[in-house]
Amino acid sequence: GLEGAWPRVAMEASELWVGFVGAGRMAGGLVRGLLQAGKVPATNIMASAPSDRNLNAWRELGCRTTHCNLEVVHRSTLVFLATKPHILPGVLEEIRPAVGSHHIVVSLVAGVTIQTLQRLLPPWTKVLRIMPNLPCVVQAGAMVFSRGVNAGDEEAALLKSLLSSCGLCEEVPESYIDIHTGLSGSGVAYVYLFAEALAEGAVKMGMPGALAGRIAAQTLLGAAKMLLETGEHPAKLRGDVCTPGGTTIYALHQLEKGALRATVMDAVEAATNRACDMAKD
Amino acid sequence: AGVLAAHKITASSPDTDLPTVSGLRKMGVNFTVSNKDTVKSSDVLFLAVKPPIIPFILEEVGPDIEARHIVVSCAAGVTISSIEKKLSTFCPTPKVIRCMTNTPVIVREGATVYATGTHADVEDGKLLEQLMASVGFCTEVEEDLIDAVTGLSGSGPAYAFTALDALADGGVKMGLPRRLAVRLGAQALLGAAKMLLESEQHPGQLKDNVCSPGGATIHALHFLESGGFRSLLINAVEASCIRTRELQHLADQEKISPAAIKKTLLDKVKLESPSLSVAAASKVSLFTNRSKKN
Repeated sequence: GLEGAWPRVAMEASELWVGFVGAGRMAGGLVRGLLQAGKVPATNIMASAPSDRNLNAWRELGCRTTHCNLEVVHRSTLVFLATKPHILPGVLEEIRPAVGSHHIVVSLVAGVTIQTLQRLLPPWTKVLRIMPNLPCVVQAGAMVFSRGVNAGDEEAALLKSLLSSCGLCEEVPESYIDIHTGLSGSGVAYVYLFAEALAEGAVKMGMPGALAGRIAAQTLLGAAKMLLETGEHPAKLRGDVCTPGGTTIYALHQLEKGALRATVMDAVEAATNRACDMAKD
Repeated sequence: AGVLAAHKITASSPDTDLPTVSGLRKMGVNFTVSNKDTVKSSDVLFLAVKPPIIPFILEEVGPDIEARHIVVSCAAGVTISSIEKKLSTFCPTPKVIRCMTNTPVIVREGATVYATGTHADVEDGKLLEQLMASVGFCTEVEEDLIDAVTGLSGSGPAYAFTALDALADGGVKMGLPRRLAVRLGAQALLGAAKMLLESEQHPGQLKDNVCSPGGATIHALHFLESGGFRSLLINAVEASCIRTRELQHLADQEKISPAAIKKTLLDKVKLESPSLSVAAASKVSLFTNRSKKN
């Protein structure tokens, strides 16, 4: 296992105290991943939220809960910030006095830059910023993270090893985070749209909707799995499915006529630009 | 390409004023106005006349076709069975091969496919393949794919010329002199085609290799995609293929009167394309060891 390669990281993971400030869907997805991976016991995890609405689910998982953000910071080494963007500045001001050099602060908050985080936290704070996506909740997420000035290789390795249980987790330069939003954060919605349209086509041709929906989802899952597992270029995999004069090439022609590729590129561009704009606000 | 000595090639045309005729003569090809003479002095006979003329040529030279002859038709849309049917009144087992080539044979970068008829042997096909491989790529296919080949590589050079013209316009717009723009555009396509032919990789992968993140090329490609570039090309190949089938269908049904043919010949109708008219009919020296049967 990890013991041989990174002994310090392995020890830290099982002795790690993890806190979540904010207990919404994203945080919930990450914590489920952590627990699934069995790296951190539930009792070592604490979450804070203003109301009990979200916290009930955490208690059912065996985690500790509180309404006090400071308590989370006092009790944890690794602190995830998972509040809504407009709430974050206030929360940072609140917890700032309790943040020490032993803390690792990881922000999940959309649009808040490392620069801003470092500005609102003590100068010695190890800060990292992560952008997950929704399927983290089913441990099939795509996450990218970047480090601030005080976060080193150890912190990056720790984060990566903990979160790989939730899906793909890669370190990137901060400038890629907005692109990740356009590609994968929002990208999940594009896939839902595509799945819906596929199913609708099938319904038009006479298949019941529920069945069509399940098959559409499985088709996307299977195709994605083949992409990830074969490592082949998607164009090659596409060609492999197209028998000469067959059904697939006829259908692909329709997609090309509709300039699907350009439209998808437009979508990624629009979401990325919007993420950039929002971060500036 | 040096596979054949010029004096072993005979070409015939009723019209001696065609520019292609003097070109052929300069190359040392034997020239005659008599199709019958061409047939008699040849073993491999390329029919390079316009498709509606084929039936009349076959009628004319049919009696002189012998068992040794390999009749190769380059006429678009003319089926092997229609040729075999015409010739069978004169010769019980005519060897017929149908081929589809394209204009870049002129520069020995042609794309040729052929389909063998009922009585053509494997070696007859291989002989043709040897000949045509000297001027580019040549492979055997099933006859029912020839229309698709027409749409792709038959018409293909025209798509490329159109693209090159436009690429050059783009270059000129951005400040390049026209001649340089044309030269660079052509070289870019030539180079890309060569890379693809010599690579194991999928064109999609080769494309990716050129696109650095956020760079110039990916920006340009986005424009191409927005304009439906890919679908336009698919549409073009499809349209050419479908039209070829239509023309073939029309040819099967229509009959052109002999009087009309004579008129068009008198009006000096140009042959289909300059390169194909290089050999209205050719004798081919058998550079293999097969001996001529007489």
